[in-house]
Amino acid sequence: MNTTVAGTPTLATDFAATQSGADAIPWYAWTSVLASLSMTTGLYWDISWHMTIGRDTFWTPAHLLIQFGAVLGGLAAAILIFRTTFSRNREAKESSVRILGFWGPLGAFLCAWGAAAMLISAPFDNWWHNNYGLDVKILSPPHELLGVGLESINFGGIILMVGLLNRAQGILRPRLQLMMLTVGGLVLANSMIGRLELTDRAMMHRAAMYLALAIGPPFVLETVARATRLRWARTGAAAIYTFLFALGVWIMPRFSAEPKLAPVYQHITHMVPLAFPILILAPAFALDLLWRKLNAVQPTPGFGEKWLQATVAGMVYVPALIAAQWPFAEFLMSPASRNWVFGTLDQPYMVPPDWYGARNLFLPFEGWAHFWIRLAWAVFAATLCTRLGIMFGNWMRKVQR
Amino acid sequence: MRTFFRVFIFLLPLAAWAHLGSPDVYYDGNAGPYHLLVTIRPPAVVPGVAQILVRSYSTAGEIDRIQILPLTIEGEGENLAPRPDAMVRSADDPQLYTGNLWIMLRGSWKVRVQVEGKQGDSEINVPVAAVSLTAAHMDRGTSLMLGGFGLLLVVGLVGILRAANGPAQVLPKQSMSPTLKRRSMVGMSIGAIFILVVLVSGDLWWNTEATANETMVYRVPELQAQLKAPGVLKITLENPNSRSFGDNQWRNFWAQSVVLNDLVPDHGHLMHLFLVSMPDMKSFWHLHPDATGAQEFVAKLPAVPPGRYRVYADVVHSTGFPETEVGTIDLPAVGGEPDASLGGDDSGSPALVASDKIAALSSGYRMIWERDPSPLRAQQAVIFRFRIEDKDGRPATDLENYMGMAAHAVFLSDDGKVFAHVHPQGSVSMAALALAQGPTRGSASPMGSMSMAPLPAEVSFPYGFPQPGDYHFFVQVKRAGHVETGMFVAHAVE
Repeated sequence: MNTTVAGTPTLATDFAATQSGADAIPWYAWTSVLASLSMTTGLYWDISWHMTIGRDTFWTPAHLLIQFGAVLGGLAAAILIFRTTFSRNREAKESSVRILGFWGPLGAFLCAWGAAAMLISAPFDNWWHNNYGLDVKILSPPHELLGVGLESINFGGIILMVGLLNRAQGILRPRLQLMMLTVGGLVLANSMIGRLELTDRAMMHRAAMYLALAIGPPFVLETVARATRLRWARTGAAAIYTFLFALGVWIMPRFSAEPKLAPVYQHITHMVPLAFPILILAPAFALDLLWRKLNAVQPTPGFGEKWLQATVAGMVYVPALIAAQWPFAEFLMSPASRNWVFGTLDQPYMVPPDWYGARNLFLPFEGWAHFWIRLAWAVFAATLCTRLGIMFGNWMRKVQR
Repeated sequence: MRTFFRVFIFLLPLAAWAHLGSPDVYYDGNAGPYHLLVTIRPPAVVPGVAQILVRSYSTAGEIDRIQILPLTIEGEGENLAPRPDAMVRSADDPQLYTGNLWIMLRGSWKVRVQVEGKQGDSEINVPVAAVSLTAAHMDRGTSLMLGGFGLLLVVGLVGILRAANGPAQVLPKQSMSPTLKRRSMVGMSIGAIFILVVLVSGDLWWNTEATANETMVYRVPELQAQLKAPGVLKITLENPNSRSFGDNQWRNFWAQSVVLNDLVPDHGHLMHLFLVSMPDMKSFWHLHPDATGAQEFVAKLPAVPPGRYRVYADVVHSTGFPETEVGTIDLPAVGGEPDASLGGDDSGSPALVASDKIAALSSGYRMIWERDPSPLRAQQAVIFRFRIEDKDGRPATDLENYMGMAAHAVFLSDDGKVFAHVHPQGSVSMAALALAQGPTRGSASPMGSMSMAPLPAEVSFPYGFPQPGDYHFFVQVKRAGHVETGMFVAHAVE
């Protein structure tokens, strides 16, 4: 907790602290990171639960972790907002924004909004189950509301921190940068969980998978890079995702579990981890190298130049990803990968033994025409996402409150 | 989303299948040496969770553990089953066990009940049909609540967008420049339009999901009943739930096809047809039409009094999926003596008298409902017991099997919307029960009561009224070569 200014800590004192070069990270930055970590871990666990056990209740540990993250993010935001709103300290309000009569930092409002969305999605999802059946599809309106709420808490946390970062000096800066990078890496991990079905091992020699990976991740990488102002931010965020997913591959199988839902096609005795991480690390590294050049060539790009930069980034992202993942996919299909490190031994309980992936085979090639068309779309999507990331990231740099 | 635009009126159409409006399964039988009463409450929507209750009638302490497992009634499901779930013994009632099972596909299932106890391990398979019964409509309360919260979210988000594009970019203690103010409004407006687009897209998405769900909701088939010639009733069945496995989409939702050319006999007949005069229910007939085509049946009508009749036709598919088709017909007077005009296993009576205790039978015989004095509660399994005695009050000694069973009963709500054809073994279809046991399991033969030994003078049926209200029920026994029907009335409370 920040105590560099006498009296009760408020946004004003936080503001003063950032100006004075103090090294204390405000408590709400810590809770933001913890909330994000809790939700991503919960998401990972939940998917693994559905791949291993199949049926669940509201009270599974995975669900509780997600809920804890939401409650933590929401409570922290509520405290910040109420404390500022009902504070007699004028300075507190003068370093806040006003929304619907309440005062507080912008990031807190987004966190509160995300927590409210997640809360509302619960009765909505319950109604959905009662009327359309238990989850047969991951994608449904209440789940989307939950997902949007979850990411709002993550981005709310980043915005809370970026507001501080944009004013911070001294040792506080690198610490805040690292914390933001962590949340960014978690957002990237969530984004990768969201496209798991499209990034199955059997899909890795199809352009369709690279198209799926071009929608979303480039946006996250670009936003995080600009918000944190770290030279290796993209690589860092990708490394956090890679580390978390690899850790999952190594840890989850240590826990005993068995399927509870028919049909059980795979004999499973332990938790099935999510697949080994996709090598997003490669394009992220390539993009970090690229942006050094681009920034050197044009430090203050105009509107058209930003589009040009995004196009170049899109044209680097997709080939770099393919160059790394395509041969790595060959390895993942080979007997050499069937060990605890790469985790290709386990299949979810519901995968029939004749499924391509279960036989360590790629799905049939989609044909050159489809391949090139999808790759072109992938480059387009990566370009668009990068451009949006530039816009959002640049906006973040302006956040002061 | 939809809640932001629409408010729905609470409309849950009461739809159900075999045993119209009465989806719960009651089964009284033996798993080897253990006598059990099994109640299965299938989910209203599939995939969903079925609730299972097992009451043991064995001596206390005989049973160590009961496990349950859901399986599709036939097929490879058996080999791909997960480990069974242990049922929980009630703390208040040690003879009662409860458990839940996930039913993931619509169609014909069986619940395997495995008993471990002092007399060894044994099991029984109880068939259950699972379908989605409701088309989703949001009730007003939920709709208003979600709509209100949704509106709050939208307003909040618009406010956040306004702040993000303006005030949030101003250094503390400074005020917004006119340019930033304008940007703030522009950003908010663009954001609001974007939110609107998302909401409209969400609504379209929801509509698509709702439409897809609606096509999967089980529809009660309605039969066409018409007099083909004097005394000849023609029944034409319909199949609104036609599910052909030519279309792979159905495979994601249904365990089996629903077709009409696969009907199998259920205790000796392809169809059990019930005619009940409405609203008095005094004229009650249990007939067995002959099939003249895949969807057409013809029944010879006995001499029934004229009037409006509700028609219920019970059929069972080869998949073990039971259905009750319903219809209505206005019948003119059909002359002759009722009893003389009945053929085969057909039975009925033109002028039954309702009673809540004793029904008069022929030759001074009486059927007595041995009723528990406590009120009948909806959704509570009850053993309905009836004693048949002669005119001197002595137990009847001349009862015979009627279509392989000691007795038949029909439970009917006064509005005709609940119908259940029940036997001493319960509300399960006998054909489905046989299928559920599989070809090699003979221990729980559904026709176990077909012994040649003299039948006792008491018959019983496990059943539970699905909802509160007034009911008539008809109990049929065969005595001295003649089928007798007793009519009773009951009221079920919440």
